[in-house]
Amino acid sequence: MKKLGSEGVISPIWNWKITAASFSLLIFVLFLAISFGPVPLEFQKIIRTLFGLPGGLTGQERTLLIDLRLPRALLAVIVGAALATSGAVYQTVFRNPLADPYLLGAAAGAGLGATIAITSAGADLYSLLPIFSFFGAILAVLVSFFISGKFFAEPNSLLLSGIAVGSFATAVQTYLQQRNSSSLRPVYSWILGELTVANWQKVTWSSIYIFIALTILITVSKQLDGLMLTDEEAFSLGINPNRLRVIAVIAATLATATAVSASGLIGFVGIVVPHLVRGITHRVTNRGLLTIALVGASFLVLADLGARTLLSPAELPIGVITAFVGAPFFLVVLRKKRLVSK
Amino acid sequence: MIKVEDLNVRFGQKEILKDINVEIEHSKWTCLVGPNGAGKTTFLKTLLGSQSYSGSITDSGAEVYGNHDRNVAFVPQQPQIPIGMSVSEYVMLGRSKRDGWGNESKKSRTLVADILKLTGLFGMLNQFVSQLSGGEMQRALIARALAQEPTLILLDEPTSALDLHHQIAVLNNIELLKERGVTIVSTMHDITLAAMYAEKIVVMQEGKVLLSGTSDFVIHSPELQVAFENRISVFTLDSGRQVIVAKKDLSN
Repeated sequence: MKKLGSEGVISPIWNWKITAASFSLLIFVLFLAISFGPVPLEFQKIIRTLFGLPGGLTGQERTLLIDLRLPRALLAVIVGAALATSGAVYQTVFRNPLADPYLLGAAAGAGLGATIAITSAGADLYSLLPIFSFFGAILAVLVSFFISGKFFAEPNSLLLSGIAVGSFATAVQTYLQQRNSSSLRPVYSWILGELTVANWQKVTWSSIYIFIALTILITVSKQLDGLMLTDEEAFSLGINPNRLRVIAVIAATLATATAVSASGLIGFVGIVVPHLVRGITHRVTNRGLLTIALVGASFLVLADLGARTLLSPAELPIGVITAFVGAPFFLVVLRKKRLVSK
Repeated sequence: MIKVEDLNVRFGQKEILKDINVEIEHSKWTCLVGPNGAGKTTFLKTLLGSQSYSGSITDSGAEVYGNHDRNVAFVPQQPQIPIGMSVSEYVMLGRSKRDGWGNESKKSRTLVADILKLTGLFGMLNQFVSQLSGGEMQRALIARALAQEPTLILLDEPTSALDLHHQIAVLNNIELLKERGVTIVSTMHDITLAAMYAEKIVVMQEGKVLLSGTSDFVIHSPELQVAFENRISVFTLDSGRQVIVAKKDLSN
């Protein structure tokens, strides 16, 4: 990378070629994901099929592509982008490099919602689970907001009330699980995260909410840099910090709640991806938010590819893969002291 | 001219600033002095426009509260240091309001390079701000304020936690702003330094203004002794410069 200021002029803070490169990476990874698997699909034939040209995939292969692999890969794109972006935004808003999308009780709330769906809905759990977990996540974050009266004065108070609400929701979830021991397995499976139940309906509704949330976040992303300073400094730079914080938290929560309800709890994406992008680019500016979204999407598509091919024909929960990559990554980052001040 | 009339600030039941009436001249350095808890930082925040108040503060006739049309730089005593942000990125934030967030112009990038050279930070522009020493961080804050090209700069204890050498270096950097016609309002613990640099001193105690005037006038006023509960002494050096030191208080 060219040294900054080598010509007496500071290089632009963000190089949009990085964003273009991350978009290319996503397209490449996406094609990789839909062509690899127990039944490999030829690259050229996929292209021909997608563009309706002759010489494409056979009927069975086509069903495999259109009904299984494509919605699954696209769900990974949507969920990966949502979690990575929300993580980056929470880290900025709470001025905490270890903040993740599940910080404000969204995960525990979604978990409680999912557990209620599983323990009370019985066989029809998957049709109700996304709705229950979505509202569980939203409700938990709203309660966190409500309890944290001092949110506008001190962001950390919201963070602490999020932890308290999360603990309470987890306690209720555990109680329900203990009372319905037959539900332990599906709840556990959901907690580890899964994209196996992806279908076009799920892709459609989750993409609508996540598109809205990410559009809001990317629109305000440039101003988010001001939230890394004190509120007075942000004000002096033309920002209304409280209003911006509320917009960012609501949009990031909408994205997180949708992602959780679509795919369960997939950990580490919201921490690993933002730090990976910041580490490579040596930039913490939120102008990189679109890039973080694209890399997050690529990361989860690759993780899902690993989840369904490493022990093929059996599948690993995707959360195991992201944690397997995420935990050592975290240690490396901490070791390099990139996250901590001296 | 910044006119402060009947200014009152309350945090709940507590009165922080009480009936303040002061005039701050443009292109001059005004320094707020007084013991801890006198309300100096709150006064700075009200001048910035981020703190609600009753009464009136007008800058060139416009009320300042919530006013984003002014170009005011604020240098806090305890800055929030963004982890992983480079010095150049940090100083470039100062251009955000002028260029629009996320759109730094080539002129801005050249200006920031010049400012980094001026403040002696050009050699460390790729370094993380979290790795800077106290003195370097103060210079980075001043550099960001310079990049903002403000009409008014508010500095909260700009020399606290710095050794004497760095105090002078930072204050000289602030003087650069005054030479460019910028109005400066700062708080400062060290009254000697305040008298050296500021044209006007405002003495505060328990949320009130005890007196204000030229540095020479304030230093020799009995009210200054009152503000510091008679615990300071004023000496005049052979050079004619006044030095204010704390009395050795045997009663405590």
